[in-house]
Amino acid sequence: MTVADTIKIPGKRSFARGIHPSDKKSLCAGSPVEILPTPKSVLIPLSQHIGAPCAAIVKPRTEIAIGDVVGDSEAFVSAPVHASVGGTTSAATVTTLPNGQHVGAIPITVAEEQPLASQGLWDDIYGGNWPTDSIESLDPKQITQAVRTGGIVGMGGATFPTHVKFARNPDKPIDTLIINGCECEPYLTSDHRLMLEAPEPIIAGALLSARAAGAERIIVAIEDNKPDAIEKMQSAATGTGIDIVGVHTLYPMGGEKQLIVAVMAREVPTGGLPLDVGVVVVNVATAAAVARAVLRNKPLTHRIISVTGEGVATPKNILAPVGTSYADIIEHCGGLTDSADRVISGGPMMGFALGDLDVPVTKGTSGIVVLTEAQTRKSAETACVRCGRCVSACPLGLVPTRIALAARNKDWEMAKRYYITACVECGCCAYVCPAEIPLVQLIRAGKAGLPRD
Amino acid sequence: MIPTIILAVCVMLALAGVFAVLLGWANVRWHVHVPEQLQHLMDAMPGANCGGCGYIGCSEYAEAIFHEGAAPDKCSVGGAAVAERIAEIMGVEHVAGVPSRPVVLCGADFDERLKRPEYRGEPTCAAAVMVAGVQGCTFGCLGLGDCVEVCKFDAIHIINGLAVVDYEKCVGCGACVRACPRNIIQMVPFHADAMAVVACSNLDPGKVVRGVCTVGCIGCGICAKLDDIFTIADNNASIDYDRYQADTDLSAAIEKCPRKIIRMEGK
Ligand code: SF4
Ligand code: SF4
Ligand code: SF4
Ligand code: SF4
Repeated sequence: MTVADTIKIPGKRSFARGIHPSDKKSLCAGSPVEILPTPKSVLIPLSQHIGAPCAAIVKPRTEIAIGDVVGDSEAFVSAPVHASVGGTTSAATVTTLPNGQHVGAIPITVAEEQPLASQGLWDDIYGGNWPTDSIESLDPKQITQAVRTGGIVGMGGATFPTHVKFARNPDKPIDTLIINGCECEPYLTSDHRLMLEAPEPIIAGALLSARAAGAERIIVAIEDNKPDAIEKMQSAATGTGIDIVGVHTLYPMGGEKQLIVAVMAREVPTGGLPLDVGVVVVNVATAAAVARAVLRNKPLTHRIISVTGEGVATPKNILAPVGTSYADIIEHCGGLTDSADRVISGGPMMGFALGDLDVPVTKGTSGIVVLTEAQTRKSAETACVRCGRCVSACPLGLVPTRIALAARNKDWEMAKRYYITACVECGCCAYVCPAEIPLVQLIRAGKAGLPRD
Repeated sequence: MIPTIILAVCVMLALAGVFAVLLGWANVRWHVHVPEQLQHLMDAMPGANCGGCGYIGCSEYAEAIFHEGAAPDKCSVGGAAVAERIAEIMGVEHVAGVPSRPVVLCGADFDERLKRPEYRGEPTCAAAVMVAGVQGCTFGCLGLGDCVEVCKFDAIHIINGLAVVDYEKCVGCGACVRACPRNIIQMVPFHADAMAVVACSNLDPGKVVRGVCTVGCIGCGICAKLDDIFTIADNNASIDYDRYQADTDLSAAIEKCPRKIIRMEGK
C-alpha cells in the first residue's frame, strides 16, 4: 500500500468490464525523451482540433518565427494554430490527417538558424521553474483567454479545445478537476515520460486549470503500472493540496467516462459531458501546455510522441514540432523493420492506421505505433458465436454484437434501440471477439450512416 | 379400422372446406371498395416497388396520384410509357419530361487512382470512407460497391475499382445516389442519350490532384474558356445542366481537356 492508495476518493479506482491487453510499454518506457533535430520543413494543418477549422492568416513567402499565429478562427469551439519552427511559408495546400480530416495546411521551409534547439528548446518548453504561488491571484477569465490564445487542445488524442472546458456555466458548477495520467493505451509512454521528466509544469497547469474552471479539488489519476510516475508526481505536488491517486490498470481507464466512474463514482449520462457531473478532465500533457501558455506566454508548438512497436528499429520518445512528417520521425528512429506491416497514429486500440507516412504531426499525436505482420494478420471473419465476450468487455455496458450487426444490415431502428451513439469506440469488443468481427469499425461506420432526423 | 393416413387426409379436406367457406364469406363481408380508377392506376404500375418515385411503393404512389393529385411522371422505372398511361387514366395531359439519370463524378479506375495501400477492413464504402489513408484522393470513388448493393436493376457495376452505370438498364430511381458515402453520384437531366460529364469531384489544388490521380480535374479552366457552360469553383469544373440542350456539343472541350476527364456518359 502506497500513499497513492490511501487517499480517500469517492470511486473504487476501477470501473466495470474493460480489458487487460498486454501493455508493451517496456519497449520505450525507459527511454528518456529525445529532442528531434529540427526538420527541414513542416506542414502546419489549419485544423488540429474538434471544431471550426482556422483560416490562414499568413501570406505565402513570408518570414515567420516560432510561435507566430498561422491560422485562427472566430468560432468559440476552435483553437488557433502556430508556427512550430522559424522559416518561410509557401502557398497553402491541403492534407489528410490520420483521423480523416481533410484540411488546409501551410508549409514552412525551416530557416537555418533556429533560436531554440536541443536542450534550449526543452528548457523553454518543460524546464526551469514553474512558480505556483501567484496562481491564486490570477483572474480565471484571464487564464482561459491565455489558454485559447496558446491554441491548447486536448493532447490525449481527442483534441477538444481546452478553453471550452474551462468556460464556466453557472448551471453546471465544477467541483473536481481530474488530471488524466492514465495512458491506458498499450505501447504509448509519452505521458509517462512527461510525468517522470517534467512533473512541475503538470502541477502548475493543474492548479491553473482548477482556478480557471472553478474546481475545488484536484486529483491526478495515474494507472498503478507506473509507480515511478506516481512517486515523482507526489513529490512535485507536495504542499499544493493536489491528490495523486493510483487507479487500476484496466483499458480504457483513460477514457473520460471510465475515469470519472473510477475516481468520482459518477456516471456521465449518455450524450452528456463530464461537466454535467461537475467534473473537468485534463490530460497531463495538456496541463503542462496550459502552464506554458499562461505562465510563459508560449503557444502549443511541440509535443512528446512515443515512436514504438515491434516494427520500429529503435523505439524512442521524441519531442517534435507540430507539422513534422511522420516519415521524418520514423526515419530518426532508425526506420521500419522488415517485418513492419502497419503504422498507426495514436495507440493500437483507438489509433488510426496510416496509408501514407507523409502526414504531419498534430497537437493530438500521442504516438506512432508500428505493428508487425504477425501481429496484424487475422483469420477470416466468421459468424457471431453468441459467446457474449464483447458484452462482458464493453465498459459502457452495451451489446456490441447487436449494434454492429444491425449497423451492417442498416437496421437503424435496432441500432438506435441498442444505443449505438453511446459507443465510445474504445475497441474492447473487437479486441475480444473470437469470430474476428470488426465490431468497432462497423459501429463507427454505422454512426456515420445513421439517418439524420 | 380406417388407416390413420386416410383419416388424416379426410380431416384435412374437411378443414379446407370449412376455411374456404369462411374466407369466401369474409371476402364478401369485409370487402374494401377500391375505386375503379385507383385499381387501374395500381395495374398500370410496374410493380418494382423501388421507391424511386419518393413513395414507399407502387401502390402508395398510385394512392397519392388518386387522392392528392401527385404528378404522373414520377415513376422512373416505367418512364414515359407509364406516365402516359397514368395521365390517360386520370384524364390529365402529360407533357413528356426529360428523364433523370445518375452520373458518377469520378473517372479514375484502380490504375489511375494513386496511393492506394491494401485495405483489409469491412468491404463497404461506408466503412472505408472513414479510413483516412484508404486512397490518395479523398473525394473519389472507393470502388467497394455500396451503390451496386442497392441497385435493384443491376444497372451499376464496379469495373476495375470504379462505379460505372449501365444506361441500358438504369431506370433512374436514384437509390445509388443516396447510398454513396462520398456523394459523388449525381442525378442529371438527360436531354440527349449521352451527356457530357466532368467526371471528377476533387476540390483540391491541381498540384495536389496530380499527386493522387492521373486523370482528375486540375481546375486549369481550359474548358471554361471554350464554353461558358463550364464553371470552375474550388479547383473543379462543373457543367450547368439547366442550359444543356439536346444539341449541345462540347466536343471541343472534351478534346482539349488536358486530363481527358470530360467524358460522354449514356447510351
Ligand atoms: S481526382 Fe477526380 S477522377 Fe481522380 S480519383 Fe479523385 S475524384 Fe476521381
Ligand atoms: S444505377 Fe442508380 S439510378 Fe440507375 S437503377 Fe440503379 S440505383 Fe437506380
Ligand atoms: S460510387 Fe460511391 S458507393 Fe459507388 S463504389 Fe464509388 S464510392 Fe462506393
Ligand atoms: S479542362 Fe479538364 S482539367 Fe481543366 S478544368 Fe476543365 S475538366 Fe478540369
